[in-house]
Amino acid sequence: MKLPVADSAALRAHTGMLLRRHRGGLGRVLLLHTLAATAGLAGPWLLGRMVDAVARGTTTSFVDQAVLLLVVAVLTQTVLIRYAQRDAMVLGETVFAELREQFLGTVTRLPLSTVERAGTGDLVARTTNDIDRVQHTIRFGVPRVLVTAATIVLTLAAAIAVSWQVAVALLAGVPLLLVTTRWYLKRAAAGYLRESASYARLNGTITESVEGARTVDALGLGRRRRERVDADLREAFEAESYTLRLRTVLFPGVDVSFVLPVVATVLWGAWLVSTGSATVGAVTTIAVYALQVMHPIGELIYWLDEIQVGATSLARIIGVQAVAPDRVARPENRPADEHVVASAVRYAYREGHDVLHGVDLDLGVGERLAVVGPSGAGKSTLGRMLAGIHPPTGGTVTVGDVPLVDLPLDELRGHVALVTQEHHVFVGTLEQNLRLARPDADDAELRRALAAVDADWVDGLPDGLATEVGSGGLELSPAQAQQVALARLVLLDPHTLVLDEATSLLDPRAARHLERSLSAVLEGRTVVAIAHRLHTAHDADRVAVVDAGRITEIGPHDELVAAGGEYAALWRSWHQE
Amino acid sequence: MVDVALTLVRPLPYADPGTPPLTTPIAYLWWVARRQGALVLAASLTAIGSAVSLAALPYVLGRLVDGGLDEGLSRELLLGCLVLLGVGLVLVVCNVVGHRLEVENWLRAAFRTSQLVGHHVSRTGDAVTSELPTGEVVATVASDSLRVGEVFFTLSRLVGGLVAYVAVAFLLLDSSVTLGVAVLVGLPAVAGVLALIVRPLQRRQAAQREVAGRLTTLGADTVSGLRILRGIGGEEVFAGRYREQSQRVRRAGVRVAQTQSLLDAMQALLPGLFLAAVVWFGARLAITGEITPGQLVTFYGYAAFLTEPLQAATQFIHSLTRALVGVRKILRVLQVPATGAERTDGADGPVGDLVDLDTGVVAPAGRVVALVSADPDETAAIARRMGLLGAENGDRGAQVTLGGVPLSELGLAQVRRRVVVAESTPHLFTGVLRDELDVRGSAGEERVRAALEVADAQDVLDSLPGGLDGEVAEKGRSFSGGQRQRVALARALLTEPEVLVLVEPTSAVDAHTEARIAERLVRLRAGRTTVVVTASPLVLDRVDEVLLVADGAVRARGTHRGLLAPDAGPQGAAYRAVVSRAAADDDAHEDVGHQDAGHQAANREATDHEITEPLEEVELHEAARR
Repeated sequence: MKLPVADSAALRAHTGMLLRRHRGGLGRVLLLHTLAATAGLAGPWLLGRMVDAVARGTTTSFVDQAVLLLVVAVLTQTVLIRYAQRDAMVLGETVFAELREQFLGTVTRLPLSTVERAGTGDLVARTTNDIDRVQHTIRFGVPRVLVTAATIVLTLAAAIAVSWQVAVALLAGVPLLLVTTRWYLKRAAAGYLRESASYARLNGTITESVEGARTVDALGLGRRRRERVDADLREAFEAESYTLRLRTVLFPGVDVSFVLPVVATVLWGAWLVSTGSATVGAVTTIAVYALQVMHPIGELIYWLDEIQVGATSLARIIGVQAVAPDRVARPENRPADEHVVASAVRYAYREGHDVLHGVDLDLGVGERLAVVGPSGAGKSTLGRMLAGIHPPTGGTVTVGDVPLVDLPLDELRGHVALVTQEHHVFVGTLEQNLRLARPDADDAELRRALAAVDADWVDGLPDGLATEVGSGGLELSPAQAQQVALARLVLLDPHTLVLDEATSLLDPRAARHLERSLSAVLEGRTVVAIAHRLHTAHDADRVAVVDAGRITEIGPHDELVAAGGEYAALWRSWHQE
Repeated sequence: MVDVALTLVRPLPYADPGTPPLTTPIAYLWWVARRQGALVLAASLTAIGSAVSLAALPYVLGRLVDGGLDEGLSRELLLGCLVLLGVGLVLVVCNVVGHRLEVENWLRAAFRTSQLVGHHVSRTGDAVTSELPTGEVVATVASDSLRVGEVFFTLSRLVGGLVAYVAVAFLLLDSSVTLGVAVLVGLPAVAGVLALIVRPLQRRQAAQREVAGRLTTLGADTVSGLRILRGIGGEEVFAGRYREQSQRVRRAGVRVAQTQSLLDAMQALLPGLFLAAVVWFGARLAITGEITPGQLVTFYGYAAFLTEPLQAATQFIHSLTRALVGVRKILRVLQVPATGAERTDGADGPVGDLVDLDTGVVAPAGRVVALVSADPDETAAIARRMGLLGAENGDRGAQVTLGGVPLSELGLAQVRRRVVVAESTPHLFTGVLRDELDVRGSAGEERVRAALEVADAQDVLDSLPGGLDGEVAEKGRSFSGGQRQRVALARALLTEPEVLVLVEPTSAVDAHTEARIAERLVRLRAGRTTVVVTASPLVLDRVDEVLLVADGAVRARGTHRGLLAPDAGPQGAAYRAVVSRAAADDDAHEDVGHQDAGHQAANREATDHEITEPLEEVELHEAARR
């Protein structure tokens, strides 16, 4: 399942909304930059005046006055730039902070079923890479685009003010500039995205080689890893070559369109001077303007490029908002008791491909049910239905006669919890990791929960519950991490637990140790254990054999063994009794 | 046609990135430079062309202002305009050619470095992870090698800029010594002042990067654990925590904005005042007729132009400093010793039993045996040693023999080819499933499918879009824990080694599946030396022979059923204790060890006698099954 990406209409609407919301700040920044750019135009103008003056013959006092004016202009420009840049950057920081906080808020409210099915890889990429990419555009791009655009417009305006007849020559480069830039911008964003994707791939390959170094060594995968690195570099090279080709067209086009106006100004200017419609000073001023405007135009093209790339990331960031909720809570329905019943439950990940074909299951309160069966039989899907993760495609799962998916999420968690093989230790203190389940729990309660799952190692930690764990902090072993997860469950205290291969990712030794912690958590609760160890089934009150989306056998262990069905055959081969 | 002309001459990556000196960062950079010397030279020459023609623009413009501009479209003016256009075109050509050469220099240096690192980490085994954190190794490719590229990117601009600076110096001094000296001394002074202001800015930027890095970590962390947050609760707490850090980043950004905007202002102020001084001085000279108005224009142009060489110099110094830091990290990775498993080796030693001399574990040639222990770590360690896997076993080659020859004599390359150890949590790599299974590239589709069947992993083909041609996600994330293990098992089987050592190959699969795998695995490996570390009765029941290991020695051997038989004696009791514990998962940890110690002597005596036993037992076993 893929997470949505915003289309261009949604992107435009969102950008428009952002701009409108910060209309005041944006206006101020634009005004300051316009004024600053105006002051920056004084230099060439005064130079032109002086060229004319010197040609006419002038006094030093005129020069002194003109230069004094120039100094005043420079000082004014300095002050204006200071505030314009500051305000622009502060605005960028504000907008960007708003954007990322809103994004994370949306992400943490994503529907349960979306999170379970989409996985977290794509979301992590959006939280890190895309946010970073947009950051560059918003922090630096938006202010620079404002500055350069203002400078270009003002330079043209100033040139027209000096002598509109001469200024016409500045347009000499415009057609070529427009054609090349358009050609380039149409292709550039895709090219640069391909580039960064190819580098991401290379980094991924290196990460894999290093993380899997033991496997590389054990299976003699060295040559294959090197071929992969070379293939990634080849792709990166091709991506780089492509954008280099684009620039090979862009640069000469833009450069020529910069040289043309200078030459045109001089030629056209000379003719105008000879007809008396312009002064040499005016021509000089405008020629220097033509030289000076090169830089901002080049920078503007660069940023247009970056903004295109940033826009694709922004589309991925705001796209998350388009995920529709998977359920509507009806808080008025209160479960009458803790009795969980599944009736005629069907489920299809893809329409028409049912994974579950009308499963009925009545869980006794406090019962322990083991679900066994071959891989791909639908055990995990059944588990998710029983935990209220996905709304079933057909039939219902109820607790105390209320469908699980009608319960508000906060309440659902107090009834049923799903325990999977995934464990994650959050960056933060150990107590923060535990309090997720019950924010108001006091330290004594946290310690009791840890003691219940046998996590005695906590007492040996340097800062006890306040020890920083997770990435960058103390690294917990997989078994310890799983114990923290189990302690959370103790705090959450749901009456029904669904265990889906909760210990299967641990190494066999840790798994055996952990089962003790687990049994403490299971005490006094209704438990559905999707089992891959038969002794779990042996100890359960009832065993359900799931095959091809149906419950084929269900009953106490002894009865099933006596019945001589599939379960019995398996049990015998396992136990030889 | 255009495309051909625009393609870089020699494509990357290199067939062989070469062997760099690992002594000092400077030596490394020099080594890289020598490998692309011609390219560096060409880029520098083009950069000189660019810089000189850029410098010539104000000069030609100045000449035009002096000669002809006031006389209409004279011959002189047209000629001057042609010169201006010519200089402009030279600039255009030099710019684009120079850019291509710069980029090629950048790519060659950066890619060579990435390739060196990428190749090296495929030869070190897990020594690299035991010496350096993964993130640091990845950073050498993700950023440090790009820094090396930047040095070569900025180098040519530096050379061009310096030459242009000197050229302009001569032109200026020719016109007016005072003005020339003022410009040439004044500008570096301005640059020096700017460099000083940059310091506090860099500090604040570093502070912001740090809080921002923490924010990214928090965001990634929250999202990685999203399943837990949505399942257990605490989303608000975590969103709140992110908001707090986000505001911290914003505040740090505002602090950067204070300094940065000051610097931006200074960058307008100092050159602006300098320009004003040049114009003032130049205009006075012009009034007295010492210089022409055109020369005044030229000076004005130069005062603006000369900031470029200065920028190039600062950029180069900046990139060189960063590259030296980066190369130091790169060298740390390249200095991790290679395992030596890829050195070419001599002829294969004789086929025969694989024996661990320390513990007395024997994997008889052509038979499938299981290693059992109350402590699974112990048997796993023995298994790894028998294949000399992992940095910890690098010097244990004398303690294990294959066909009577110590592994140290066979050499690691031969050991890796003949003995394959597959650990219980192996790493799955991204790529097309077919290729990821058939890692030696020698099996056809038929055998790949057969291996998947043995590992009971056909469901993987159904769940993966594209089946065998589908893409395996990073670390096999799209597979369940059990699927990952079964895919890894199929991959190990497909290497078809002379000796296959499997560590807990079925610990994450359900009992149904485990039973099927055990049967098919033993059938597939029949007649080929195979060691399985396991405590699962479903597997133990199928193998030719089981060996019970405790406290560093073999305590019992025989068939699973034989050892469980009522008349199996003390060995049987020890075995039963371990196996039934594995099954029932009681907590007889210490008891078993104790028992084992007690029977040590008896077991040793029994060993010789039992080696002749298993064959008959297997035949009996097979007969019983039929």
